[in-house]
Amino acid sequence: MAPGLRQFTERRAEGDGQPVLDTDAGEELMLVRREVSIVIGNRSPESPGTLYISTKKVVWLSDVDRTKGYAVDFFSISLHAVSRDPEAYPSPCIYTQIETGEDEDGSEGSDSECSDALDLSKVTEMRLVPSDPSQLDTLFQVFCECAELNPEPIEDDAEENNWIFSADQLADETAEGEDSEWNFSQNPTSSIGHSNGDHDLARTVLELQINDHRFEDAEEMEHEHEHEHEHETEARH
Amino acid sequence: MLFFSYFKDLVGKEVTVELKNDLAIRGTLHSVDQYLNIKLENTRVVDQDKYPHMLSVRNCFIRGSVVRYVQLPPEGVDVDLLHDATRREARGG
Repeated sequence: MAPGLRQFTERRAEGDGQPVLDTDAGEELMLVRREVSIVIGNRSPESPGTLYISTKKVVWLSDVDRTKGYAVDFFSISLHAVSRDPEAYPSPCIYTQIETGEDEDGSEGSDSECSDALDLSKVTEMRLVPSDPSQLDTLFQVFCECAELNPEPIEDDAEENNWIFSADQLADETAEGEDSEWNFSQNPTSSIGHSNGDHDLARTVLELQINDHRFEDAEEMEHEHEHEHEHETEARH
Repeated sequence: MLFFSYFKDLVGKEVTVELKNDLAIRGTLHSVDQYLNIKLENTRVVDQDKYPHMLSVRNCFIRGSVVRYVQLPPEGVDVDLLHDATRREARGG
């Protein structure tokens, strides 16, 4: 499941201590913003640090304590938004919800406040508070772009194909030959029956085509039925 | 792709997006992408007691994978059209 929020302290030795990215996997830095505070769960904000947004994750590194930093993968960010209402939070911020892979038991907020040994992997909310609120829209935009770069891994691709075709592989073959007919309204040769609005003629033509080069038994019934349906739709147009 | 195109047609309409963590957010559908990530505007949280801080959020981006349901506006649902489209999708693969 989603790993959630985690400690992150891997800074590059050279330069200004940017976070170590997985450049081998194509990870790139998209945006750097100084003077950003982070608010984890219901805890109080942590002293300004620097926010790094890469194509894979959001990293916040403390400016004062080099051993302090957090990261969360876009993969784990289920929602992000611009929050400007002082009722909700005193400072305008980027509000995020983090998928933790655990069922919420409603205790995550109160737990985190009384305990320093916070279990980051259970944190479900994070706020990023830039010192300059005018940056919020840009941040939101970059969050959106990066979220789109990190779709779910497609694990059920094969399955998806299966549930349509595996029941009867014949369907696979017919699907191809059918394609042309399926869009027959765009095909000038088969639109003849339709142009004069003669339903029966059109149906006859279709049935002829079906009988022409096709399979036997129950499948046929089904296909015929669907052609009729398709036909009705076309007629309506 | 069917639902992607379908949701694109709903842009500008009011929908309620229910997340897998039970949060339900109502808002104007601003955009949707191929992963069914959803951007909402003028949002409000349906269950305000549980998520009071989300009240303030004007626009938000919801990751497609955390969406459980999208409640559609009745006028955005053309049953016949969807019926045909789903058949076609299943057929064409």
